[in-house]
Amino acid sequence: MDSGFPTDDVAPIAILMDELRSEDVQLRLNAIHSIPTIALALGPDRARQELIPFLQDSVDDEDEVLLALAEELGGFEEYIGGKEHTHILLGPLENLSAVEETLVRDKAAESINKLAASLSPAQIEEFYIPLLKRLSSGEWFTSRTSSAALYAAVYPKVSPAIQDDLRKGYAALGADDTPMVRRAAAKWLGSLIKQLSSAHVLSDGLPIYRRLQGDDQDSVRLLTVEDLIAIAQSLSPAEVKDQLLKQIRGSITDKSWRVRYMAASHFNELAEAVGTELVREELIGHFVQLLKDNEAEVRTAAAGQIPAFSKQLEREVILARVVPCVRDLSTDTSQHVRAALANQICGLAPLLAREATTEHLLPLFLHLLKDDFPEVRLNIISKLETVNDVIGIEMLSENLLPAIVELAEDKSWRVRQAIIEYIPLLAKQLGRTFFDAQLSNLCMSWLGDTVYSIREAATVNLRKLIEVFGLDWARTAIVPRVMGMGSHPNYLFRMTTVQAITIIAPALDLEVIRGEIVDPLLQLAGDAIPNIRFNVAKALEVVGKSYNTTAEGQALVSQRIKPALEQLSKDPDADVQYFASRGLKNVK
Amino acid sequence: MGSDLDRQIEMLKACKPLPEADVKTLCMKAREILIEEGNVQCIDAPVTICGDIHGQFWDMLELFKTAGDCPQTSYLFMGDFVDRGYFSVETFLLLLAMKVRWPDRVCLIRGNHESRQITQVYGFYDECTRKYGSPTVWRYCTDVFDYLSLGAIIDGRVFCVHGGLSPALPSLDMIRGLERRVEVPHEGPMCDLLWSDPDEINGWGLSPRGAGFLFGAEPTKAFLHNNSLDLISRAHQLAMEGYKLMFERMIVTVWSAPNYCYRCGNVAAVLELDEHLGQEYKVFEHAPMDVRSIPARRPPAEYFL
Ligand SMILES: [Mn+2]
Repeated sequence: MDSGFPTDDVAPIAILMDELRSEDVQLRLNAIHSIPTIALALGPDRARQELIPFLQDSVDDEDEVLLALAEELGGFEEYIGGKEHTHILLGPLENLSAVEETLVRDKAAESINKLAASLSPAQIEEFYIPLLKRLSSGEWFTSRTSSAALYAAVYPKVSPAIQDDLRKGYAALGADDTPMVRRAAAKWLGSLIKQLSSAHVLSDGLPIYRRLQGDDQDSVRLLTVEDLIAIAQSLSPAEVKDQLLKQIRGSITDKSWRVRYMAASHFNELAEAVGTELVREELIGHFVQLLKDNEAEVRTAAAGQIPAFSKQLEREVILARVVPCVRDLSTDTSQHVRAALANQICGLAPLLAREATTEHLLPLFLHLLKDDFPEVRLNIISKLETVNDVIGIEMLSENLLPAIVELAEDKSWRVRQAIIEYIPLLAKQLGRTFFDAQLSNLCMSWLGDTVYSIREAATVNLRKLIEVFGLDWARTAIVPRVMGMGSHPNYLFRMTTVQAITIIAPALDLEVIRGEIVDPLLQLAGDAIPNIRFNVAKALEVVGKSYNTTAEGQALVSQRIKPALEQLSKDPDADVQYFASRGLKNVK
Repeated sequence: MGSDLDRQIEMLKACKPLPEADVKTLCMKAREILIEEGNVQCIDAPVTICGDIHGQFWDMLELFKTAGDCPQTSYLFMGDFVDRGYFSVETFLLLLAMKVRWPDRVCLIRGNHESRQITQVYGFYDECTRKYGSPTVWRYCTDVFDYLSLGAIIDGRVFCVHGGLSPALPSLDMIRGLERRVEVPHEGPMCDLLWSDPDEINGWGLSPRGAGFLFGAEPTKAFLHNNSLDLISRAHQLAMEGYKLMFERMIVTVWSAPNYCYRCGNVAAVLELDEHLGQEYKVFEHAPMDVRSIPARRPPAEYFL
């Protein structure tokens, strides 16, 4: 609700103060979100002279309210008279940058960065730099922590002399006594590095980085992995080799698994930043070590990088170094590692090409398809298409079909569903004869699955198969079996018949509908179960809408469909009435 | 009546909470429907019977994937929709919206957690105030709780109740005679229906829960016999296999919160009663992590920051 202060109201600030004094946090939050409205009512001059000082001095509230204020201030320029006044917003944000709650400080820093974009060099030198210095040398670690986020945005906009100061200031943060501050310095160093000249990266950035990379706290060290990437990106491959090799080795082989985890999960990015020579000489060996790491988390992260990193390797190297690890990981003791591998391994196929994939990867696919954990099986199945393109569906199905047929009865319904989704593609490639012999019974058995989602997917699958094999096939292979379930003593089967008709009817033709579908469907309109009857009404609506384009179709609609819907619209059950009436309305 | 509600149901199925004003309207409509229903609501088979959900919203979506969407599948939920899980608001409002949209296809009966007192201790109250900034939505919902039926009877043969029997209520007619539109009392017949548990004892016993009773095979058999019933279906107790038949299949516990409290490691079940009252127990597991059941189980991101 817009509070809509009248412009002649003399006391919007009083109202704001009043609302901010409310017991109810929600009302105080609403009050903070209404400060743009209040500023509009006051006009830019009074907004600067009364509202901003009030917000700066008088708001001391719960974190949730402060968070909202920090956010509002980031977009407040337009209410205080534009860019030339932007700097006055820095005041309240400076306070918020020093509070205890991290979320509030982060939001305040984000807003300050946003405002920095529109400050003029003069405003920056007069207001922003002093603020940055105050925060950076603040007595409490909270303000020093916040300050680290604020350097990069203004660095390119200030004079060389001030730039020198800023680099020194940042170096001090990197050497701070409080780990929280060093952590912030590590977190934001990468973005500052991107603003430095190559010479300053070497003279200033590198020492700050090296110090943090050797910190005694692993929570600091792990944040330097991204700094390392940023520095490597701004140096030449030769400089990287001269200046960073020790640190690269240090992070990847750190004694803390959390640091190794960070290195493993950024491995490909790092590899791209250091250049091919180091990849070949150095990184490939480390990658193999990470894939064999003692900690499952590290192996999982490294497994996630396999195809991306392998793109930078030659095929022989992949075969000689990576594939043996992949083979080991496929029998890893951790299911999370195997699941990560299963998710990535298919990505190796295009890099290895047809022959090597068949020789080296196919046996591993087969193995992972039989894994005890459904997530592993599922990850393999859902990526098989990539492998199709490399070795061809024939080779794939020859080798994998038995495993696929086995998975069609998997105890996890999500695995069964993944198989169903794969069936139309298989059908297209295998052809009708092969399909009828190997897979059609399977497709029918899913219609009687105990899980509703599988029964539903099975009906959609039938429609896709009709699109592949055509009407003749549908008439002989599908329709009789679907309609056969319509007289089953259990209502769930009868329901599946009705729902299957609803899905496949548009893919059939009038002759089949008239000859095979309509009579049994109308029979079901008299079923004892109302749930069946209203689904018949839905099916009739679909049939009616799909076949009313020809004179013959219209005859069917007016002689059979509409009278049945009219009958159902007088059903004692309200839901049957509802769907029948909707059907009558939609079938013209 | 459909379109607004259908839109709200879609929102809730995506786990987006409704605006407060919509909740108010929904709860008012629900009360109008529920006030017409008996203490023991009569329903027809086929129907799918569900036990405790306890705010495990994403796991409830697994339930629907297993047993079917409403209205295709008719549902009976035996209470304890809220508390303990992270999404009690969305869970209860979705069930309530389904009830209002398809009143003949959904039956909701009251559990011991559908109470002002209990929800202030076990999470629903806090969740409402956190998500809406005030207890208003909690108040709307708990007012609806007072209107929920105490039990249901399917085709005259299967009695469904959250907890179990009361020594003060030997017949269904006596349950029908209770004044139910009150906060769940601390003791007495209405409290017993929502709190009691079956147990391998002779006759009746004191409940370790401090409310309701323990009841053995004898009182169960007598209740079935005197009321011409085949089965009592109830919830209220965790069953590691999702359901548990007792007393030579006279009573069954159905439990529909898989991996209860996100840590018990149990599977869940629903009971599908077909048109001939044949029983089929459908077991299901908790939602996969990537379907989002709880804020990540394993370390990544924030763990490092
Ligand atoms: Mn309970």
